[in-house]
Amino acid sequence: MLDSLNYLALGMHEAFTATNIFWVLIGGILGTVIGMLPGLGPATGVAVLIPVTYGMNPTTALITMAGVYYGAMFGGSRASILINTPGDASAIVTCWDGYPMARNGQAGKALAISAWASFVGGMISVIFIVFLALPVARFALKFGPAEMFALLVFSLTATVTLSKGNLLKGFISLCLGFIISTIGIDAQTGVMRFTMGFGSLQDGIDFLVAMIGLYAVTEVFKNYASLDANYGVSTSDIGKVSMTRADWKQCLGPILRSTPLGFIVGVLPGMGGTIATLLAYSTEKQINKHPENFGKGAMEGVAAPEAANNASSVGAMIPLLTMGIPGSGTTAVMLGALMMLGIQPGPTLFTQHPEIPWGVIASMIIGNLLLLAINLPLVKPLVQLLKIPQRILLPMIMGLAFMGTYLMNYSASDFFLLVLFGIGGLLMSKLDIPIPPMVLALILGGMLEQSFRQALTIGNGTPVLFFTKPISIVLLVLAVLSIVYTLVKDSRAKARISKGQAA
Amino acid sequence: MRRRTSWIALALVGGMLLTGCGATTPAPSNNSSSAASAPKTWTPDATIEIVAPAGPGGGYDMLARTMERTLTGDKLVDKAIIITNKTGGGGATGWAYLNTHKGSGNYFAANSPQIIQNNLLGVSTLSYKDFTPLAMLQAEWEVVAVPKDSPYKTGKDFFEALKADPTKISIAVGPALGNDDHIQFLKLAKANGITDMSKLKFVVYPGAGGEEIPALLGGHVQAMTISLGEAMEQYKAGNLNILGISSDKRLEGDYAKIPTWKEQGIDVVFPHWRGVVGPSGMTPEQIAYWDNALSKMSQQQSWKDAMKKMNMDVYYLNSADYKAYLEKSTQEESDLLKSVGLIK
Repeated sequence: MLDSLNYLALGMHEAFTATNIFWVLIGGILGTVIGMLPGLGPATGVAVLIPVTYGMNPTTALITMAGVYYGAMFGGSRASILINTPGDASAIVTCWDGYPMARNGQAGKALAISAWASFVGGMISVIFIVFLALPVARFALKFGPAEMFALLVFSLTATVTLSKGNLLKGFISLCLGFIISTIGIDAQTGVMRFTMGFGSLQDGIDFLVAMIGLYAVTEVFKNYASLDANYGVSTSDIGKVSMTRADWKQCLGPILRSTPLGFIVGVLPGMGGTIATLLAYSTEKQINKHPENFGKGAMEGVAAPEAANNASSVGAMIPLLTMGIPGSGTTAVMLGALMMLGIQPGPTLFTQHPEIPWGVIASMIIGNLLLLAINLPLVKPLVQLLKIPQRILLPMIMGLAFMGTYLMNYSASDFFLLVLFGIGGLLMSKLDIPIPPMVLALILGGMLEQSFRQALTIGNGTPVLFFTKPISIVLLVLAVLSIVYTLVKDSRAKARISKGQAA
Repeated sequence: MRRRTSWIALALVGGMLLTGCGATTPAPSNNSSSAASAPKTWTPDATIEIVAPAGPGGGYDMLARTMERTLTGDKLVDKAIIITNKTGGGGATGWAYLNTHKGSGNYFAANSPQIIQNNLLGVSTLSYKDFTPLAMLQAEWEVVAVPKDSPYKTGKDFFEALKADPTKISIAVGPALGNDDHIQFLKLAKANGITDMSKLKFVVYPGAGGEEIPALLGGHVQAMTISLGEAMEQYKAGNLNILGISSDKRLEGDYAKIPTWKEQGIDVVFPHWRGVVGPSGMTPEQIAYWDNALSKMSQQQSWKDAMKKMNMDVYYLNSADYKAYLEKSTQEESDLLKSVGLIK
């Protein structure tokens, strides 16, 4: 305990140099901008910085890259809220209530909530990392294929809560997503599946392409019907960009619950921000007194995922710093960059170069404060985006969608997929089939399948592992309970409504 | 046939993109000067482009960027060098792009055993034969690691146990079957007389070391076949044991205690290498230029230091030796992958 504080003091000493503060600021701003642009995620942002970090000392390099990482978490939700286009994968969930809030004339408030929730989530997680880094890292090792599978199943129960009443259509959407997620080379056997001879499908369909197509392109197609309208929001009352005392009261609970959840998911290898936000969102929806408001612009629906994704980006630094294991795509790029500087993060980093990990941890405190200071004043100018008439805004969104898609894989064949998903999304919305379960299945499908089959291989072809590992059992039971609870609650609500009508 | 068509389509798209950024891309040298007056020696006549067939930060990218730093930093070439990242198809996108510059000496791409394996596994129709091998440049070594409390203390113990029951041990491998990590293990199994190799329990982790190491440390698998670079920090921290290494002699320093397979009586020496290929149709003069420049690069102190930082050995083969090596390994690996049914 005291050791941690001593080390933190060392880290503060390391981080509070003019150079490092300058680079946190640069990293944070760059991250915010990159996070806002669809397709450009934190991994790209860090990669772009690699040549810049050549001449730096390792602590400064890592501080800068970490700044980009959580800067992107702040920025990712801007586009989600304003134009229903997630800036990166972990900002998908923010669309679900952030965009409805913007349509209800609360864009400013939504942006403010997202900035504050990101800040609080980030700060609390830094406290976690100071005191809990090592035990949490050890706990994460307990997650093998069976436990991962159970956790993914548990997060998939969110589908039930996301189907907005029509469970059947929700499952149709989910299954479509799973089918698409099997395209490409199967990792466990090396067999090609459903590539139909297209070389460009061998690596599977990047869920980010699907996501930009289903959200941004679909949104554009839908709005072409009403080209002359603007968003139908009176722009005068958007100006309210702060959170009131009542707002805080409503959001604090979700933020405080979502932070530890996001933090732990961030530590698990291969999981990351998207799953953290999903779990946070569905948890909040299930325990909320008014779950029917979720998806229609509930403040909690913005606060919870935003706190969770920042917490997970801090959590993801733990395996990197304590064990040298990259827990996410972004930290993998960071690892590569550090190796070029002659630093190999690993189990010995904390003992041999304590100034590096602790400098980074201390810089997160500065970084979060700076990001809040950058992001709150940005709310007002950003909201002006909504004043842009549709006929100008829609082509801009389309342009951003194509640009983001190309920047992800530098592959022009993704353009076809992008448009296909856009058309698919339009059809789905005409048929009233919810899109979120499909996106969910696309993100989780690959991992779900791989962890399931890894567990089968280890168990000599039997599912014995799922029912002998305690964590797996607990999570599977929770998954069942979560579905049952939602169903019961729904049917009771329906009964009440029909009773009310009868009376 | 179908796949070929799609590759042609891909190449066309690549070509279109290329013309799209024609302003920044120097045109391939237009050897309009008559053959009679062609100079005996060749030097790069425009900006040199190194293609890293993967995203920034990975092994290919680091190789390309280190090359750029030594070649320009030590003034081994007098033209500027740019690096292009082309991701997709396990390297195939980048290599296909390289061949849009047929016959040019100003372009080359990083490659690795992937160029052999992707072709064998049917992932790509491109093989090393579609390019001009220029040099093998670096190698790292493969190891088999087990948890520190594993009952297996030596390579012999381990393979004896597997020979008795090939399904006894779950082995982590990643990111995909048929790569060097996997092939090392197959070579070892074969050398130890394990006949039914298709029964071996390989658990594939698409996230490679980042997922394999936690799986091993958490006790979810009992062994992993991996490059030393990915396992070494955990080894140094005493979290895992390494049963053997695929180098021909023991490494130095921190790794001096790791026995080679050879000294344990298992006849396997296997570098996990990276090198560079040029587009098809390069002239002997162009090849001679790069043989000279790249062999010099391999001897530079800055190159040796950079390799050391990345935990790589400098492992230079010139264009002729490299080509011969590629031929030989293609045959060997094809036989191994057939024995586990990955290819027919």
